[in-house]
Parts: sequence; C-alpha cells; structure tokens
Amino acid sequence: MKQEHWIVTEDWPARPAPYRHGGNSLRDVLQAWLFAAGIVGACGVVLFGPAALLIVGLSIVSAVAADFAVSLLSRRPVIGGLAHAALTGLLLALTLPATVSWYVPVLAAFAAIVFGKGLFGGLGHYIWQPALVGRVLVQFLFSQQLSLFVALPQSPVLAPGRLLIGDVHQARPIDMGTYRGWSAYRRQSGSDAWLMDRPVQVLRRFAEGNVSSDGKLLYEPLIRDCLPPWVDTVLGLVPGGIGETCSLALVVAGMYLIYRGYLRWQLPAAVLAAAAVAAAVLPVQIDADQGGGYDWLPILTVEQGRAVGLAYVLHHLTAGQLMLGAFLLAGDMIASPMRPRGQIFFGACIGAMTIFMRLYGILEGECYWSILILNPFVALIDRRLKRPILGLAAA
Amino acid sequence: MGFWSNVLGPRLTFEGGCFLPDHKSATARRPIETVAADHTLHVPLQLARNLSTVVEVHPGASVLGGQRIARAADSSSLPVHAPTSGKIASLGRVWTPIDGFLPAAVLEPDGKDAWLEPSRAWDSESFVAQLARHGVICHSPRVPAHRLVQDAVAAGVTELIVNAVETEPYLSADLRTMVEQPGRIIDATCEAADALGVKRAIIALPFRHRRVVKRVEAEAAGRHVEVAPLTSRYPQCNPVVLVKTLLDREVAPGDSTLDEQVLVLPLATMRAAAEALFDDRPITHAVMAVAGDAVDHAGTYRVPVGLPIRCLVERAGLLAPVLQAVVGGPLAGVALGREDAVVVADATALLLFSSVQTLRPVPCIHCGWCVEDCPVGLDPSSLAHLDAERSSDALTLACLQACVDCGLCSYVCPAHLPLAASIKRARLRFLKRLSQASQA
Repeated sequence: MKQEHWIVTEDWPARPAPYRHGGNSLRDVLQAWLFAAGIVGACGVVLFGPAALLIVGLSIVSAVAADFAVSLLSRRPVIGGLAHAALTGLLLALTLPATVSWYVPVLAAFAAIVFGKGLFGGLGHYIWQPALVGRVLVQFLFSQQLSLFVALPQSPVLAPGRLLIGDVHQARPIDMGTYRGWSAYRRQSGSDAWLMDRPVQVLRRFAEGNVSSDGKLLYEPLIRDCLPPWVDTVLGLVPGGIGETCSLALVVAGMYLIYRGYLRWQLPAAVLAAAAVAAAVLPVQIDADQGGGYDWLPILTVEQGRAVGLAYVLHHLTAGQLMLGAFLLAGDMIASPMRPRGQIFFGACIGAMTIFMRLYGILEGECYWSILILNPFVALIDRRLKRPILGLAAA
Repeated sequence: MGFWSNVLGPRLTFEGGCFLPDHKSATARRPIETVAADHTLHVPLQLARNLSTVVEVHPGASVLGGQRIARAADSSSLPVHAPTSGKIASLGRVWTPIDGFLPAAVLEPDGKDAWLEPSRAWDSESFVAQLARHGVICHSPRVPAHRLVQDAVAAGVTELIVNAVETEPYLSADLRTMVEQPGRIIDATCEAADALGVKRAIIALPFRHRRVVKRVEAEAAGRHVEVAPLTSRYPQCNPVVLVKTLLDREVAPGDSTLDEQVLVLPLATMRAAAEALFDDRPITHAVMAVAGDAVDHAGTYRVPVGLPIRCLVERAGLLAPVLQAVVGGPLAGVALGREDAVVVADATALLLFSSVQTLRPVPCIHCGWCVEDCPVGLDPSSLAHLDAERSSDALTLACLQACVDCGLCSYVCPAHLPLAASIKRARLRFLKRLSQASQA
C-alpha cells in the first residue's frame, strides 16, 4: 500500500491505554438476557396459550413505554437502549399468571420502571430488581387475582390438545386424589382444561399441617393425593406464573447465560443447594389428630419403603418461583454481588429464606420477597467479601 | 517438563487475569528480520529525557557503526552510539513516542555499514561497566541497566528473574529471541547472576510455547539457571505478578520488586546485555514486533535506532489506513500521537490498527469482571468513581499504588468505562498532591 493511507492519520487520538477492547458491551449482555428470558417466555406461551402471549406483550410494551416516559420527564437519555426496559417487562410477565386481567401487567410494568428503576436514576443505579418491585406492588393492589388464598384458589392447566391454541370454554376443578398426571388425565376425561392447586400452595398448606395424614403416613398422602407428578412440575404442566412452572426451560435459559458468561454458575447453584438443604432440614407441622408436634429432617423419611422425604425436597425445588428466581431474577447483575463468593452467600440466603418463608411465612411469592429482602445487602456483601489486595495483606 | 506438568499445565499461577486472544500467529513463526539502515536516521542523543548526554560529534563528521556519538554526562546516564556508518548531516531534535522531543543527530548512512572493530579491552571490564559503556537501557522500568544492577546489589537481591513471558497480544520479540538465541540468553543470565551474586536465576517462559520451553530447558541443563514455564494469562508478564507467582512474595504497593530482594529483567534487556557482553556491540538496534490488523508483512524486525517510523511502516507495508498506532503492547503501550516519530532503543513493538475503538461509557452494571480479572485484587469500579481531590486516606493511596496498570479492567468492561485511565489519573493526582504537601 502506498503512502496516502499513512497520511490519512493526521490527528491520531492521544488516548490512554488500553487501545483494544474485549468486545463485550451492555448491548450484548442485555440481548443475551432477553434471549434467555425469551426461551422461558416462549415455553410459557406454549403452556398457557394466547392469554400468556397477551400478558407478555402488554408487559413488555408498557415497560418500554414507561421507560420512554421516564426518560422524557427526567430529560435523561435512555441508557442501554430500550432493551433493559423490555427485559424488565418480560421478567415481570414471567412472574404473573396467565389468568390476570390486562391492566395488571400494565400497571406492574409502569410501577417496575418508575419505582424500581427510574426513581433510582436508571440502569446501574437501582437497588431492587425492578421487575420484582413491580410484581410485589401489584400483589398488594390486586391480591385477589394474584394471591392464592382469597378468591381464586385454583388455576387452570391446558390439556395436551389445547397447548398454544388456548380456546378453552370452561375449566372444571378436578379431584387430585385420582389425578395421575397431565397426559393421562386428558385421555380419561376428555376435557380441554382443568383447575388445579398450585404445587407451591399445596406445599404451604402441608407445612401448616392442613393436609390430612393417612394413618401413620405423613408425606405419602401429600405426594400421592395432593401434588401432581414430579415430572409434570419439571415440564411445567402445572398451574402457576407464565415463567414459573417450566423448570426445564429455566434450566436451559440459565445454562445459556452461564455459557455466555453473563451469569455465574455459583449463584443458581447456591440458591438451589441452600433451598434443598433448608427443605431437607426444616421441620413440618404434624396435624393435631396425629398428636401435633414437628417432624424434623423430612429428607430422611421413608414411608412404605419409599423415600418420600427425597420426593418432598424435589417438589420444593420445582414447585415454582424458586427456579425462576435462581436462574433469572437473582442473577440480575446490578442487584447481585460482584464476586462469586458474595454470590454464593447471596444465593444461599435467598434459597434458605425462600423455603423458610414458604413453610412458616404468610407472604405469597416467597422467592421474590427473599430476593428483594437480600438486594439492599448487596453493597454490604461486596464490601465484606473484597479480594485481598496484593502486598497489603502482608504489610 | 515432566508428564504431569505437560498434561495439566503450569503449576504456578496467580489469581485474576484473563486469557487474551494473542494474535501472534502472523509474527511468531517469522524469523527476526534486520531492517537495513538505508534511510536518513534521526538518532536521539538521549535514551530518555532524564539521561543527559554530551554530544561528541559535529555536523559533517563521519562516523562508523557502533561509534559513540554522545557520551554520558554523569555515571548514572548512558552514552549513545551510531547504528551504522555515515555522515552526520546536522544536529536537531526529533519526536520520540514516550519522551516527546529529544535532541537528535541526523545521520546520512553511506551504505557501507562499516563497524568499529571490537576492542579486546572489554574482557577485563566488569559486568556493570560493560552495561554502562554499551548504553544498555532496561526496558521496564526505563532506567539504565547498570544503575538497576547497582541498586539490586545494594538491595541485596537473592533472585534474578528474566521475564520472557510475553502475554500481551501481538508482541513477539521475546518469543523470537528465545527461539533463535536461547543459548546466548542463558549465558547472559549466568553472567548477570554472577555479577549480582543471586541464589537463583529463573527464566520465566510462557507454557503455551512448549517446544520453546523444552529447547530452553535443554540449553539450560547443567547451568545454574531454572526454567519456569508459566501460564500465558495476561498480565503474567508484569514483574509484580511474576514475583507473586514464582516466589509467592507480595510487593507492597508503590514499592519495586527490589524491596522483595528480586530483580526482574525483561528479556529485551538481557538480549541487549548479551550483545554488549559477547559481541562488544552497543545498543544501536531495537528488536520490535510490527503487527496489527493494518500491517501487511507483520513480523519481528531488528530496526536501527533513529529510523523514522514512517520508513518502518513502508517497509512492513499497509493493508488499510492506520487510525490507531501504538508503541508497545495494545493494553499497556503508549499511543503514537505523531507520525514523524522515530524508533527508540527501548521500543518492543509498533502496532498499527485500522480502527480506533471509541467507546461510549454507560453506568457500571456491577458485572464484577474487573474485580475478577484484576491481578492485584483491586475493585477498579469503585476506585474509578473515586474523587481523588477529597479522599485522602492511606488505604486509598495504597489501592491506587497497588494498581499495576495492566489495563485489563478497561479491556473487559461491558459498560466501556475507562477504568484503567481514571485510576492512573487519580494516582498521579494523588501523588502530586502528596509531594506538594510534603514540600509545604
């Protein structure tokens, strides 16, 4: 090449080192997270039909609109594009059931963006995961639609032929005692959809001692008569939030993020491990006609030669919310500690607190609450778990 | 290299750092090529701004290659020699990448490249005197090598580490030297170890180039030199990290490795010392990698000092317009601000990029990658926010001084924050304020 190429360079920028960049950008991070959450959202749409699509769409659109409005009002440019608002809306939609009214995701998304993100100064400055802020605010406002205790005790599940299409005219409650799993039920009953208790709700009732035991057996009636088969909870064929139920999709989404390097494996591993240990150890109440009292170390229980304690712990892990919290909600970069060590502590607290609140608490959405409770401690965890500085430790 | 270290990789490593794409495939296999001094040379008459010299030639004088053209003004300075034979056209000044304008002699080569006969007096001289007479400058820190050796002796060093771990992308001068002349490097290391009176002399090499490691190990058999294959995770090449990895000693922030009784010499200095010791040749050439995505014939070149960088670039050829030129590595080098600069004796690389990476910073998103990758355990994201004017505690200063300027934090930051630059600026401001306070 000739000299003219060289002469182009009259004003080289006198920049400070380094002169090359690794190539990661906020855009990449947000796109990867959007993709991962999109996997789970797509599974939710398949499982819950067009109603779920409407909720997801409304939530994303209103979150983006809210972010736009906030940036207009505060006269501050939107940082990282609208991708972060879309991600917040998507994550928010994943926590909502498909049966909520249209205005619930809209209000929740506005609340998430305004109170969770905008008031703190936007991306990078918030303390609480914004999607969860929106979720718990609407939980107070619309507790009848979201909460499990009051008006709507049961939620629908679509039958095999109605996946993705929806088109359900009526849904009947079913008797869990004779329920033998999702695919088997359709064959015997022929219905399009049916109403079931959420597994989380069943586990909460069980922890309160409200599941009647069968003679000497304590866990067997729970697992046999009240809960759907465990495989159904892994595949997401149980009622619940749009993104809460399908543990398989959540694991795949989490693996994708870990592979891309935008989520450290230590965080979800710590959440799940701590939850498993808590569920294995924390006592459950035995109902009064069995003599009352508590059953410690549920995992060691063997009834009729079956390791029901282990099944009980597995049901706790996949019952919903915990997987979503572990893989997508707790790992939000801004609202989680920086170092793997801090993330292990943070995740372990979330997992243990989730199970504790599920067994003994009254708040619905226990995993979301534990993440929100732990979020303000992130700065403290970061400060306490600093790396030792080379040369200062010795001196 | 035993079976297990061959299979499992280097045993010694450090916390932090990250593997960078090394971009050495274009240069690593090409032998070092000497660039002929057939163009007017603007030889700087000082090796660095603080190394004052007295000019010994006048315009119109003829010089031979290796002839001294400026002698050291005092014992802590270095002389300058002519890279080839020719005529001194004039005396003036020239732009150098690091020191800015320096006095220079314009040398018109006569094309004969006639050199001074090696004087046989040199075998009676001491190691330190030879380094001083031949003008050997240490590449990092940029001080005369003989002064560094004297300081090391005064500090009572017990270990000598020759740093051939070239972990920065694009750089290939040390690797090519190790491939082409391992024996000379080992000889020079033994000489240096003798002169310093150290207990151990270690040559640190990148484990990635196992055949080079095996070759050097074969050459070092029976000598009092250890060969340490190390990970090529950046910044293993940094002296502080090297001392931590090899000897598990931690250099306190702001100190040099001499305070831990270790002398770390770059391989480029060792090569220059070998030329001075065994060939009686002064330092008149710089061995440097010319690479980058704008370079056509990327390779390692032996370039006469004072050659305008423009000529070197024409020699290597360009594929695209150059928008960013760097002297040194892409992470710790110095940006070339003007294109009329010349090659200096301690240059290790010239990198020409066809793009300039202008990054728009966004707020920190707490990904924690800078903390994870920092080789000294700092939290760059919190240090970069630091208002150095107000905070004045000793811990902050220690943190700022512990930074080794590797540039990894800026390199990995997805928010594109200029972390390394702000830490460096905060440190300079802090030190300036401290010195003002001590004067007042």
